[in-house]
Amino acid sequence: MLVGVMLAVAGVSAVRLAGARPWRRGTVIADTDIGHLLMAIAMAGMLAAGLRTLPGAAWVIVFGVLTCWFGYRVALDARAGGVRALAGRHCMPHLVHSGAMIYMFLALPPLAAASAGMAGMGSAGQSLRYPSLAFVFALVLAASSVWDLDQLSGRRYRQESAAVTVGCRTAMSVTMAFMLLIMI
Amino acid sequence: MSDLAVTDGRVAWRGRLGTEVVPAAQPPDARRALQLGLAGVWLLDALLQYQPVMFSRAFGRMLAATAAGNPVVIGRPIAWDATLVEHHAVALNALFATIQLLLGLGIALRPLTRFALAASVAWSLGVWWLGEGLGGMLNGTANPVTGAPGAVLLYALLAVLLWPADRTDSAYDAGPPPFTAARAVGARAARGLWLVLWLGLAWFAVQPANKAPLALHNQLAGQADGEPHWLAGIENSAAAVVGSHGLPVSIVLAAACVIVAAGVWLPRPAARATLVLALAVAAVIWVVGEAFGMILAGGATDPNSGPLLALLALAYWPAKPGQAREERVPSC
Repeated sequence: MLVGVMLAVAGVSAVRLAGARPWRRGTVIADTDIGHLLMAIAMAGMLAAGLRTLPGAAWVIVFGVLTCWFGYRVALDARAGGVRALAGRHCMPHLVHSGAMIYMFLALPPLAAASAGMAGMGSAGQSLRYPSLAFVFALVLAASSVWDLDQLSGRRYRQESAAVTVGCRTAMSVTMAFMLLIMI
Repeated sequence: MSDLAVTDGRVAWRGRLGTEVVPAAQPPDARRALQLGLAGVWLLDALLQYQPVMFSRAFGRMLAATAAGNPVVIGRPIAWDATLVEHHAVALNALFATIQLLLGLGIALRPLTRFALAASVAWSLGVWWLGEGLGGMLNGTANPVTGAPGAVLLYALLAVLLWPADRTDSAYDAGPPPFTAARAVGARAARGLWLVLWLGLAWFAVQPANKAPLALHNQLAGQADGEPHWLAGIENSAAAVVGSHGLPVSIVLAAACVIVAAGVWLPRPAARATLVLALAVAAVIWVVGEAFGMILAGGATDPNSGPLLALLALAYWPAKPGQAREERVPSC
């Protein structure tokens, strides 16, 4: 089921990216869509071995770049609106997502990472590196999910595109929190 | 902002990489924030219920263990339920986890908050009986350090206290609610529930099974198994500090619970001090007594009672003068 959710998020993000017509000069390509697309593809590959696209090391580099980008955006947001303003912006949750993705690819021992999908996670004898960090990430992602759902169902997101972004993000947060918990 | 790429003769990426513009966040009022806290705990609970180990027969055996020592009228339905779960582990656990997931998501979604809170009360009471054996209250194993009176009972209590409605009887209208928990049920009922909860915890702390000289030591040392090094270190250090002084430690814990119980009747500064004490007790229980619900050891079914006790304490935090009245309008 979660694989289906991830593929749906990847599909929605791909459609939105294509719909933004990035080949035209002056259009703005949402970094969040790029982030969702990459994370959804990576997580689908972690959940189902048949959907693996890139080796873990390549994904670590990809999400390292994304982490740097969203870290830079968060720093800009914080400088412009103060730390409190970060709660309402897109970049902070994506920074956490990118960090969690790097953690997931780095924390599993190579044997488990190479085994078939989630079956390789949390199994006996394959100890996760820094499991406390997985727990912290899971807590933050659970909190982020309920916050996003609250904002999504309030009056804030009348604009459909922003609502889709937050909907995708909530699906990513819940899936990621689940994956982190079963990795423990 | 930067151009992604530009090539000649092929599809060129000329767009700028940017961030979607979003409207400003709507900060929730105190009650909504606590509802979201409850939703978060339900969500965590659901995700833990989806762990692979819960889809095995071990989950049924875990439920069956809670029947031991309970009166027949309580224990027999637990045994029946446990057998059913053991035989249909995959289907029933998927159902349980999904219900809990929907409760968490429902509380977080504003139009569904009422329905989800009401459903969570019914679900919690069912799980408290059939899944937690009434928290060990009737078989002498209830211990506030390890989650008495049953974490899931606290979910129900929070759902009632955070119900999205404001009492409008004449006594309530005489003044603004003194704290968030009083908004739905009134200050007198909310204080009564708080008193019963914390006096109950004090009572359980000094029960024979918990005040025995080595009881607490053994309990804490046992929590260290399978935990990360740093958490096992905390558990073992705490066990070493308690040593064979189980009785005095239990008495100190019971005294703290009694002080907390009385706190909501005290003037605002003293009430705040007792609520800080309640938060500290909740933190110690969650970290030392419950080892974060043993989530880090794997196979935990829920985060246990610590976070819920903390949410409850925050629900009784004295409102600033005028704050509670203002919050009554944009209710969710």
